[in-house]
Amino acid sequence: MTENKIKNLLQKADQTAGAPAPISANLAVAVRRRANRRHTANLAVRIAAAAIVLFALGIWSFSAKKTRDQQNIVALQAQIEQLRVQTDATLNLIREVLDAERKQRRLNELRAELASIPDPMEEIRKQVDKTAFILVYQANRMYRELDQKDSAIQAYNRVIELFPQSRWAEEARQTLSEIKNNQLNNSKGDLI
Amino acid sequence: MTETLDDELLVRQFNQGDDSVFDRIVEGNSAAIAVLANRLLGWPGEVEDIVQDVFLAAFLGLKKFRCECSLKTWLFTITINKCRSYRYKRMLYIRVFSQADAKTSLARAQAANETSMDSEVFERVRRAVKALPAKYREPVVLRYLQDLSTNEIAPMLGISKNALNVRLSRARERLRQDLAELIE
Repeated sequence: MTENKIKNLLQKADQTAGAPAPISANLAVAVRRRANRRHTANLAVRIAAAAIVLFALGIWSFSAKKTRDQQNIVALQAQIEQLRVQTDATLNLIREVLDAERKQRRLNELRAELASIPDPMEEIRKQVDKTAFILVYQANRMYRELDQKDSAIQAYNRVIELFPQSRWAEEARQTLSEIKNNQLNNSKGDLI
Repeated sequence: MTETLDDELLVRQFNQGDDSVFDRIVEGNSAAIAVLANRLLGWPGEVEDIVQDVFLAAFLGLKKFRCECSLKTWLFTITINKCRSYRYKRMLYIRVFSQADAKTSLARAQAANETSMDSEVFERVRRAVKALPAKYREPVVLRYLQDLSTNEIAPMLGISKNALNVRLSRARERLRQDLAELIE
């Protein structure tokens, strides 16, 4: 009952209010226009969003590139440091090789120098031979030129005594023998 | 059933690019949408903006319409939602608007000599209806002014029939209290 009363009351109020203002005849056109505007606005928003994203990507890529560059610089610096160490090591090696070569050269020079030095024993032998020769020469001179027979015999005997193995000792022996023979011959002649 | 088939045909034609279909839909439904919006918003008289919003939403969403209900029911559902958001968004403005609107509505009521309700009574009824929360006002408008069945209203509001009956009952109770002198 109440429901019907309320319904009647509401319907009367609705009738009293009357119909709403008439809708424009161009409603469909207006709606299409608004739809187009909204579409354009959506498109603009999307383009703007895309532009923002692209811009952000650009910045990000720029900073990433910067970071990459920095990383590259660090890597290059590390490579340069490594190369420097390698170069130092190579230079040290070259230096060592050059030192070794220099030492070898010096050693060769010293060897050559050493080789150029005469054998001391030979030298001694030569000196001994020379001394024996001088003694024999003086003895010969005393015997043949100065007629100092006794001194000459002494000298020959000294040569035989001091240098018994030398050829001058042999010569001294022959000369002594010759002197003895002469003395014998002389004494024989005197006796005759 | 026939209405749904017609609607399907219309939607198919629209999807195939026939733009004139939308003109026909607007022409066939704009008056009913305007009346419903006018009632849901408390008879402000000027509802063209809301109607335009409703058809804009329909224009943008028509391709997705799956014909599970009639086109009219779908448009009514859109109208209910648009009226809700319209009231919500313009809550402050509506207060001013409603005062001005009250004057125009009153003037219209006074001008309508043949109406069976005087302006004072109309204003009381109007205030009582507007004072109802949306969840009560919508069922009342759809049931008593649009003369829709509960079977039609429930899916439009997205609630069960029981919930609808409860809301209607509570709305009646409120109106009965507010308009007791007029009802008895």
